[in-house]
Amino acid sequence: MPQLRKDPILGRWVIISTERAKRPKDFPHIDTSPPERECPFCRGKEALTPGELYSIKDEQGNWRVRVVSSIKPFLEPNKKSWKKGKGPYDLMEGVGSHEVVIDTPEHIANMADLEVGNIREVFWAYCERIRALQEDMRIKYVLIFKNYGWDAGGGRVRHSRSQIIATPVNLKRVKEELEGAKFYYDYHERCVFCDLIRQELKEQERVVLEEDGFVALVPFAPRFPFEVWVLPKEHSPDFYKTSWEDLFSLASLLKKVLLKIKILLDDPSYNYIIHTAPFRRPYPGYWSTIEEDYHWHIEITPRLTQVAGFEWGTGFYICPTLPEEAAKFLREVEVRV
Amino acid sequence: MPELRKDPIVGRWVVVNVENPTLPEEFHLPPFQWRGDKDCPFCYNNEAMTPPEIEAISEQERAPNTPGWKVRVVPNKFPALRIEGDLDKQGIGLYDFSNGIGAHEVIIENPEHYKGLDQLSLEDVGYVLKAYRSRSLDLRKDRRFKYILIFKNVGVQAGASLEHGHSQLIALPMVPKNVKEEVKGAKKYYEFRERCIFCDIIAYELEAGERIVCENDDFLAFCPLSSRFSFEVWIIPKEHLDDYGTIGDVKLSNLAQILKEVIGRLHKVLGDHPYNYIIHTSPVNTDSHFSYHWHFEIMPKLTRVAGFEWGSGFYVVFTPPELAAKYLREVKLEESNS
Repeated sequence: MPQLRKDPILGRWVIISTERAKRPKDFPHIDTSPPERECPFCRGKEALTPGELYSIKDEQGNWRVRVVSSIKPFLEPNKKSWKKGKGPYDLMEGVGSHEVVIDTPEHIANMADLEVGNIREVFWAYCERIRALQEDMRIKYVLIFKNYGWDAGGGRVRHSRSQIIATPVNLKRVKEELEGAKFYYDYHERCVFCDLIRQELKEQERVVLEEDGFVALVPFAPRFPFEVWVLPKEHSPDFYKTSWEDLFSLASLLKKVLLKIKILLDDPSYNYIIHTAPFRRPYPGYWSTIEEDYHWHIEITPRLTQVAGFEWGTGFYICPTLPEEAAKFLREVEVRV
Repeated sequence: MPELRKDPIVGRWVVVNVENPTLPEEFHLPPFQWRGDKDCPFCYNNEAMTPPEIEAISEQERAPNTPGWKVRVVPNKFPALRIEGDLDKQGIGLYDFSNGIGAHEVIIENPEHYKGLDQLSLEDVGYVLKAYRSRSLDLRKDRRFKYILIFKNVGVQAGASLEHGHSQLIALPMVPKNVKEEVKGAKKYYEFRERCIFCDIIAYELEAGERIVCENDDFLAFCPLSSRFSFEVWIIPKEHLDDYGTIGDVKLSNLAQILKEVIGRLHKVLGDHPYNYIIHTSPVNTDSHFSYHWHFEIMPKLTRVAGFEWGSGFYVVFTPPELAAKYLREVKLEESNS
């Protein structure tokens, strides 16, 4: 019997389909990517990218992680902001920032294959950019994400990188999550994510990995097969406040999860996205309990299925793999870092 | 320079690339690779390959599950939801779940394997729309169902697993999130202004003109100002109607006309391309939703939706709707005799 499950934060229902239950080998990997282009992200090609915004260098002065402006930015910082109404619609200038984090000077495609120390430096670069963007009062939210592989929206160059988008508006899905967490907090006076972690650690059914203050789990009501969330076990609203030491533990855990996904599912395309609290600024709709009610986390979604009309039309997802089984498969893959 | 636009119904922001728009030929869409009609469960004489039909539209006398039909509705062979049983709602700690009760049907639009919706005759498109209506009216008699979603996937990238033209229907025991948001947004607007937001959008678009694709007596086709996808088109009845199921025969034939025309225009401008369409209509077996206004949303899948869109609900549109509408409006369609 298929099951309907409700995400406890967003209230989004998903269908866990048992009729078409799928195991790791049931997702054929078809490479549709076009031929690779010359890489502008390798060491020695720095002139091919727009201005550098930040970098981490080793003792010899060679860069290890670089952040540059996007060649085709969705949003741009040097604009005068305006807002206006047009009939029933609202419009505003596309002020913001769109940046690319080059994860490594070496031509390595998948973050899973980077060293833990390198991944920690990537995370540190994320934190530094969030801190810098916080200075711009027009920015409301900084979104950090990764598109790995063609099916996940990755580009024609297979060099590991991440993207940063700073927006002058609150993003719909982030806002829903914030509101869901607040709604829970208002009644229970507890963080919904902390409660979720407690329940998951007790049940152990959907936990993939747990170590050094972080936990990786398959959510109870995932949108996609083999979706994994990584959360700090201690309550923490802001990703960018994670310490240099804790970032190492996070990097180690994330590398293991990405390797498990790579091995189990034959190197699939994937996205990850960091959900963190917005900047605490007095703007309409702001509330003061964000510190207590929100909990940052990373959502990793392998791209194994095509999203069809039904999902677009309803926001209701059909997940063909039982989350408990997905977690078991992922748990059983042995990896060493 | 990019521009941010807010959807007035659900409050979603999109980024529109107004200065360096992507032109239709720049999407580099490969033509469809047809696998062929051999062993296609939706072709004539293969009726036994599908579960027994629920209903069919035919111009001639025929026995069920035999050739001669115009439109055929069958249960999905791999249903996401099952029709028998109780919901049996339960909770464990934080989590809520229930049995997956619902209906999952396939509407085979025409016996022709290789024809897209725009290549069918007006009459045949009308039969498809009639089948939608009749299934919607039939399924709502089951009081367990709260929403009936009709949708279509074309092309592998849009989630179609079979190439023979078909639509699908899923009847759900709860109102899904996106619909709930739209219904709520429309209600809020209505309570404040005593007007329908969709009617206001229609009036605004008719006056502005720049996002209109085409229109007829009963319907308007336009690219919404806050589209999520490049070349997204909505078809909406000009009269305020909340429920697709109550559409009359005259409107239905005008809908067939405009749907065929819009799909034809999209095909002419973009060539073969994956797309989805959905019908957003009022929930059933719940409160009245007078303030809602049903419509078709046609969403070409020209770019790969990336992590950014999934995680944020923030979309990047590479072709501004004004430019997309201009292409679609100005393209010459061959005169057909249908």
